Amino acid sequence: MSDELIQIETPFAFNEENQREFDELIGRYPVKEAAMLPTLHIAQRQAGYISPAVMKYVAEQLEVTVMKVKDVVTFYPMFFEEPVGEYVIRVCHTLPCALRDCKGVLEHLKSKLDMDIASETNLAKGTTADGKFTLMKVECLASCDVAPVIMVNDDLYKNLTPEKVDELLAKLAS
Amino acid sequence: MVQERRILYEHLDVPDINTFDVFRQYDGYTRFEKAIAEYQPDDIAKMVMDSGLKGRGGAGFSTGLKWSFVPKDIKPCYLCCNADESEPGTFSNRYVLEKNPHLLIEGILICCYAMGIETTYIYIRGEFTLGKKMLDAAIKEAYEKGYLGKDIRGTGLNIDIYSHPGAGAYICGEETGLIESLEGKRGQPRNKPPFPAVEGVFGKPTVVQNVETLCNLPFIVGNGVEWYTQMGPTYADTRANPPTPDPNTGTKLYCISGDVNEPGVYELDLGLTCSELIEVAGGLRGEEVKAVIPGGSSAPILTHYELDTRLDFTSLTLAKSMLGSGGIIVMNETRNIVDCLLNIMKFYAHESCGQCTPCRWGTPWVRDIVQRIADGNGRKDTMTRPKFGVAENGRWGDTGETEEIYEDLDLLESVANNIANVDTMTWNTICVFGIAVSWPAVSYMRKFRPEFEATIREGKLVTLPVAEATVPPEENYAYQQRFVPKEFADL
Repeated sequence: MSDELIQIETPFAFNEENQREFDELIGRYPVKEAAMLPTLHIAQRQAGYISPAVMKYVAEQLEVTVMKVKDVVTFYPMFFEEPVGEYVIRVCHTLPCALRDCKGVLEHLKSKLDMDIASETNLAKGTTADGKFTLMKVECLASCDVAPVIMVNDDLYKNLTPEKVDELLAKLAS
Repeated sequence: MVQERRILYEHLDVPDINTFDVFRQYDGYTRFEKAIAEYQPDDIAKMVMDSGLKGRGGAGFSTGLKWSFVPKDIKPCYLCCNADESEPGTFSNRYVLEKNPHLLIEGILICCYAMGIETTYIYIRGEFTLGKKMLDAAIKEAYEKGYLGKDIRGTGLNIDIYSHPGAGAYICGEETGLIESLEGKRGQPRNKPPFPAVEGVFGKPTVVQNVETLCNLPFIVGNGVEWYTQMGPTYADTRANPPTPDPNTGTKLYCISGDVNEPGVYELDLGLTCSELIEVAGGLRGEEVKAVIPGGSSAPILTHYELDTRLDFTSLTLAKSMLGSGGIIVMNETRNIVDCLLNIMKFYAHESCGQCTPCRWGTPWVRDIVQRIADGNGRKDTMTRPKFGVAENGRWGDTGETEEIYEDLDLLESVANNIANVDTMTWNTICVFGIAVSWPAVSYMRKFRPEFEATIREGKLVTLPVAEATVPPEENYAYQQRFVPKEFADL
């Protein structure tokens, strides 16, 4: 992808705090490219998702091609290329959670929020119209002892039951 | 009943153990101080070799041996701590990072001192937000107290530790995938050799160690090799002449989940049996054990016939399975093995990095076959064929009987074995992800064949009683040692 082909509506730049964090980060590695994942995490935290403008900015900062950034962004499931909801709900559905009925939790979330599950190529499908929630299935969250678990943004919720999901949603909605 | 022996987890529940001051009250950093005061770097490396410590990340490779491969004359040399815990069923590192991060830092310091390393990257899973927060705070505190940075405690040692977040890819737990990811690329594993010990991150020698392995180091240094080797069984390795000991020493953080009453992490000496572990974890939830996965979802499954198998590296290799990362998943009589396999195959189809063709295309294919069987559309031929097995003369051959042809089961085995052949232990992929796919696929199918056949015949998921669903060991070569590792041949 050459730079001219990217449609950039609003350019992106780090805010002051993130710029400081980035400057500190870049000194840790002998090559700038190695700071790719932490930089993308910071950028996504600020912008909400990795838009072409963000990719271009990150590429400039790390002195690599935009294609290389895109290459990385498409590989890792934690980076979003489309806007997501304010709360991203990740439901673990790997075997230990499946043995503890994560399906029930997922179905309950689906019916309660009246929404579909996002796929990696179509996040909009699993995002509510008001942009509040995004619901997605993820692989093992390494908390199999307290299964079933979900992650809402950065927080882990354990031993879930439909009742606990209701409480959680009420808390998030308020 | 087997008692827990808490060493790594001993002070895990002490309030505020994540802070330097409290950690210090519980002998924190004294083991590192002992190391730099009493031992030369080579002494530490020798102690680790003598302790028999095996890498806890999955492969179970001797840590001391791994260190000995690192060339001494190429600098800088890096340490990558693998905290990308993503094997389904494993969750022990998470608690270390969240509750006792200073223990990990102390382990890293000892490793750095022994190997002359100045820079360490802790590759931590992107989802471990709390773990990263606690770890970063601990690293900051260690810098402030003078245990990290330039000229540590006036010894002239310079050691830096940086945490590096991943972004949700399972394959980055593979050591070369981790290195690629750390360099800011897609986490696609590299060909070996060159091994990371010779040419790793940024083209320099790199030691890659799991969190749990590094956490063992303070105790080996603090309490001595003799104390450490008392824990766990030691077998005879007949590779050498005369035979040398094959140690499975130390404790292991067994993570047990699934159908047990008290799932969690239990720290126990290596070498207890499956049924003992289930008992420690509050017993089975349900009537009967149907199956046990002994080492994370990649490990071949164990049936109720094999519950006496000891959970250590050597015994599980002999049982044609592996201890892996120590994630034990228990399934009771209500579970359908086809459904469980489908879940696991969906995981692998999703997590294949897409680098090697057999894996990129093979994993979705295997998933689709299992999905088809689970949906009730499994294919079965109307014809029969001669049955091969142990014939009258006691040798492998035509038994004179006929058997029905289940096309999809043959296809499943064929596709899986072409990603990685589980009988010859050869894989057509760059990394061992291939074998992590075909191991469960083939072992579930061989050991629980009646359940797969019934599901195909009936056109819907059929859960058979445990005794009927399992192939007895004497009738199936899934259990037999077709491939005997040389070192265990005379064991």
